Amino acid sequence: MTRRKFALLSGAAVVGGYAGVKLQKPPKPEKLSDGPAGQSAVAIIRARSYSDDLAGRMLEGIRQCGLDVRGKSILLKPNLVEFDPATVINTNANVIAAAVDVFHQLGAAEVKIGEGPGHRRDTFDMADDARYRATIPKFESIFTDLNRDDVSPIKNFGGESEFYFPNTVLGADWIVSLAKMKTHHWAGATLSMKNFFGVVPGSVYGWPKNKLHYYGIPESIVALNRQFGPKSFAIVDGVVGMEGNGPIQGTPKPVGVLVMGRDLVAVDSTCCRIMGIDPEKVSYLRMAADLGHVHQSRIEQRGETIASVHTNFALIDDFKDLRLV
Amino acid sequence: MGLYLDSRLQFLRSVQNPDGGWGYFPGKASWLEPTTYALLALHTKGSDPAWERAWKLVRSWQNPDGSFRPGSEVKDGTWVTAHAVTLAGIQDIDDPDNRRAVDWLLGVVGAEHNIWTRTGSFLHLIKARLDVSHEGWPWRPGNATWIEPTAHTLVALKKVPARYRASEVASRIRDGEDLILSRRCTDGGWNYGTPNMLYYDLPSYPETTALALLGIQGRSEREYPGALDLAEKFRSETKSSLGRAWLQIALRTHARQPAPPGETAWAATDILLASLEALGHPEGNYKLFCAAGKS
Repeated sequence: MTRRKFALLSGAAVVGGYAGVKLQKPPKPEKLSDGPAGQSAVAIIRARSYSDDLAGRMLEGIRQCGLDVRGKSILLKPNLVEFDPATVINTNANVIAAAVDVFHQLGAAEVKIGEGPGHRRDTFDMADDARYRATIPKFESIFTDLNRDDVSPIKNFGGESEFYFPNTVLGADWIVSLAKMKTHHWAGATLSMKNFFGVVPGSVYGWPKNKLHYYGIPESIVALNRQFGPKSFAIVDGVVGMEGNGPIQGTPKPVGVLVMGRDLVAVDSTCCRIMGIDPEKVSYLRMAADLGHVHQSRIEQRGETIASVHTNFALIDDFKDLRLV
Repeated sequence: MGLYLDSRLQFLRSVQNPDGGWGYFPGKASWLEPTTYALLALHTKGSDPAWERAWKLVRSWQNPDGSFRPGSEVKDGTWVTAHAVTLAGIQDIDDPDNRRAVDWLLGVVGAEHNIWTRTGSFLHLIKARLDVSHEGWPWRPGNATWIEPTAHTLVALKKVPARYRASEVASRIRDGEDLILSRRCTDGGWNYGTPNMLYYDLPSYPETTALALLGIQGRSEREYPGALDLAEKFRSETKSSLGRAWLQIALRTHARQPAPPGETAWAATDILLASLEALGHPEGNYKLFCAAGKS
């Protein structure tokens, strides 16, 4: 182990309680898996501002990916992290409002919103601050604080014989990861897959959900997606993303896109390429390569091309080597 | 009693579950955390059937190892064990069940308090400005130390009868307080766990600053200069209702007298918030968070 790696892991151990278990994990696969058979469709849709017709754009993207939600219950899972209306930490309220509208238009029986922020406990006040209540019709009646929802156990998850998840999450037919396109100081990037950290209940695992750090951040991302990926769809808010020291202290990065798809690995890999990050170097995507497609040749890009929307996101020094060449 | 406090207490009484506990929201399953704060908010001297039913439920959540489960559905013991010890403390309960809970708390330390991390710190290999020499308390055993569970445990241990494992309790209290003092952010307050990461200074937060101040009650203000003034500032500026409620409690336990809230009726559904707002009112039970706060 290099001095740099040891330093990184030790630092993570302190702030996220990461290293002790991390060192006992099996080594990451050397060769990237080819993933499941076939190809995955990922739609890149232009949305230059939050005042665009986001519902129309979203509908276009979802139809390109062929999602049928008629009669199903939908849980929209935004990324609500912090009080800070001035920057772009949280999924924009207009994106969530558009998604509520779109899934109703697509015939969903029920559309709910749920989020369990990672460290702040004041979910409703943060939602107010992010203008969710002001923007999303009937917000109060369709929103659940996943940190404080009632829970049920599932077997053998995250190295534990029983792991608890919110009933709202377990009961949804489809979970739509309404993530934000951001860099992340531990994972490299936080996109649709990392967004699932918010379904782990703080009432059981604390604020932050330190259990996930101990299991390993990439390992937890993959485990959560192995659990919920089969019933998930991704819509990544890249209208304005975040670069630099994300996911909280970075700076806004306008990209002008929504990225969507049924294969969350392929969606995140596409987002990485748009951001100038090599997805094949991102630990969690390498580890998730059996769940979906990382290889560009296996992703059927619909809507815009990557080249037409590509813009390099600034990366902190520890992740400079992720830059897509 | 004014409208502010009365409406919150009435709300709490109206949403007690048939099993005696409180959920995080009305109609939801009972959890130990909201049950604790509702009980503290509603606490009065003398016998109270509602309290008795709730306390019985809380006790039913104790595991054989002494820890407490956060609710009926969850098997594992967590930081809420501190809440159960606090509830026992304000009732002056010193029985074998409470002693097992105290034993469990004394046996739990933050996972970063290990030889590897301490060696890494000694060799300056840790990319954070952090003193890892203290034990503290995690949310769950096997995880790292965080400010909030450490503060809750300090409040609880300060209520343990002096005759039980006195020197060990005192030692862990002192070390836990030292941990909190060592993790102060450069802005003078506290955040969830670390003041610095990857050599970036991190900002403090209102609610964690309040909790840290609760945890270090009894230490000289000279050891945390300016923190109470920052807490006052946070209280007047924060958008977080939860942060404001915790700050009201913390400031009052430190003998500050923040302006009482306006006489607004309770109009929300968050049981934990209603409890904390009631506790932090000038006529509320905030003194139960003090070391000497008893029935």
